[in-house]
Amino acid sequence: MNRNNIFIHIALALVLILVAAFAGQLSRWRKQWKSQMRIVPAEEKKKAMTVEDISLSETQSFGAPEILVKFKTGISQDAIDRLTAQRHDRVEDRFENAEGWDAIDDLDNTDAATLVKEYQQLPEVEYAEPNYEINLDEATAGPLVPILPHDPQFNDQWALANSGQRGGKKGADISATTAWAKTTGSDEVVVAVLDTGVDYNHEDLTENMWRRPEKMEPYHDKELGTIDDEFGFNAIDTSADPMDDNGHGTHCAGIIGAEGENDLGIAGVNWKVQIMPLKFMNASGSGSTKDAIEAINYVIERKKAGVNVRIISASWGSTQKSRALGDVIRKAYENDILFVAAAGNSTVDNDRTPHYPSSYDSPNVISVAALDRNDALASFSNWGAKSVAIAAPGVDILSTWLDNQYEEKSGTSMATPVVSGVAALVLAEHPNMSVNELKKKLLTSVDPVAALKGKTVTAGRINASKALAD
Amino acid sequence: MAISKDIAVENARNDLASRLKINASDVTEKSVEDADFPDMALGAAEDDEMSGQMITRGWRIKLEAQGQAFEYRADKNQVRAYKFKGKNYRI
Repeated sequence: MNRNNIFIHIALALVLILVAAFAGQLSRWRKQWKSQMRIVPAEEKKKAMTVEDISLSETQSFGAPEILVKFKTGISQDAIDRLTAQRHDRVEDRFENAEGWDAIDDLDNTDAATLVKEYQQLPEVEYAEPNYEINLDEATAGPLVPILPHDPQFNDQWALANSGQRGGKKGADISATTAWAKTTGSDEVVVAVLDTGVDYNHEDLTENMWRRPEKMEPYHDKELGTIDDEFGFNAIDTSADPMDDNGHGTHCAGIIGAEGENDLGIAGVNWKVQIMPLKFMNASGSGSTKDAIEAINYVIERKKAGVNVRIISASWGSTQKSRALGDVIRKAYENDILFVAAAGNSTVDNDRTPHYPSSYDSPNVISVAALDRNDALASFSNWGAKSVAIAAPGVDILSTWLDNQYEEKSGTSMATPVVSGVAALVLAEHPNMSVNELKKKLLTSVDPVAALKGKTVTAGRINASKALAD
Repeated sequence: MAISKDIAVENARNDLASRLKINASDVTEKSVEDADFPDMALGAAEDDEMSGQMITRGWRIKLEAQGQAFEYRADKNQVRAYKFKGKNYRI
């Protein structure tokens, strides 16, 4: 063997060693990924998994596999294999715990969003979504079970799972999917939506609407008389019909509790909850202090009568201070009811220019500012280092609207029910928590956000997963 | 019934004429612009009026009469006089 041949053989040997080492590393990465990510359908959630000791952020993965596809019932695995092969894709994995779901790997490196669109259009496909990469902040965490609902417009709900869609910041959300690993809500918890009413016939809300229990007497008020409050209360005409004629209240209700995993529209922060609709604002979206007081009084009386209404969500306000309104909110506190209120949309400092009811000095009030999908304080949002407690997503929020519609809206109106919804999730898990404990839990469960430093009390975005930690 | 932009402008002109006790023909339309208002009272809430804190798309209507500028705000649901002699009014 001459000297040249020796060099060629050494070079070939080195190349082979490098290829083998690289293949081994790929295999380890793949095993690692599989052990860390598993999609679990709602009905098969495992209580064994805890989120207390881990912190998660979800990002849209552009590694393999790119997307998760649910094929229609009756489509055989052979047909799926042929379909993917024709598109120069391959089935990377099937999920034994999520029947019908396949992880699809694209061999052309098409981006996930494009791939999702392509598969959505195929007649054989029921649903397609990007693969979410789960990043561990702490490497010691156990198996992860983020819950991804199959509601068709869930991908547009950046507040719940921000994968960077439409130019957003990955992970700038309330960590709903990991919170849902612990609870998706409870129909034992009642949230009063004090607003323009609620379209209680909306397809995505109707199952989660409060109904007066059969054994409970109709509402009776000394001045108003007896009202057969089967669906809630309308303080404008003191009637039993809180049907929404504006849309604002229906939007807020959907954020709190649009039914999850029902193959319709969106998922609320709570998939299961009872929404008590109260109407005190008219078709234009305005109402009087007197009617607001009347409606809050109704909630307190229903609580006293045995309804487990623990939260009032108040996506409204003004700069006018009313001592009577402040007093009835304090009365709600004395009855263990949290009062979550919008900080306002006038781009002002509430420490200097108070906004009511969010600025009332009652222990049950949580004032909420709005964030956009990049974790910036919304351009319109009020703030207050002393008077605004917390922030939540409130820009381009998709939720329910009148006539079975869905619309994107912005405002601290939209941020408020996010916080109310998280409060309801916490109560689903800890039903005996007092209003003081609940408020403390919410305010100490934030993700720090740089843009909120010096702008709110907590300087953070509410985090549902952290709020559910013991 | 939803209010159109044209109807909103007409209502605003008539309201201003009524408040100033002049003919509507003496009110000049200076501009009508699309606008995002901070709340459902279009940033023009009356005293003792609570409003939904949702950004609301509408029109900013600027009128002139008797040498003075006036602003009205409207959307598909309502028309409001903005700070007319320091006060807001729902029409």
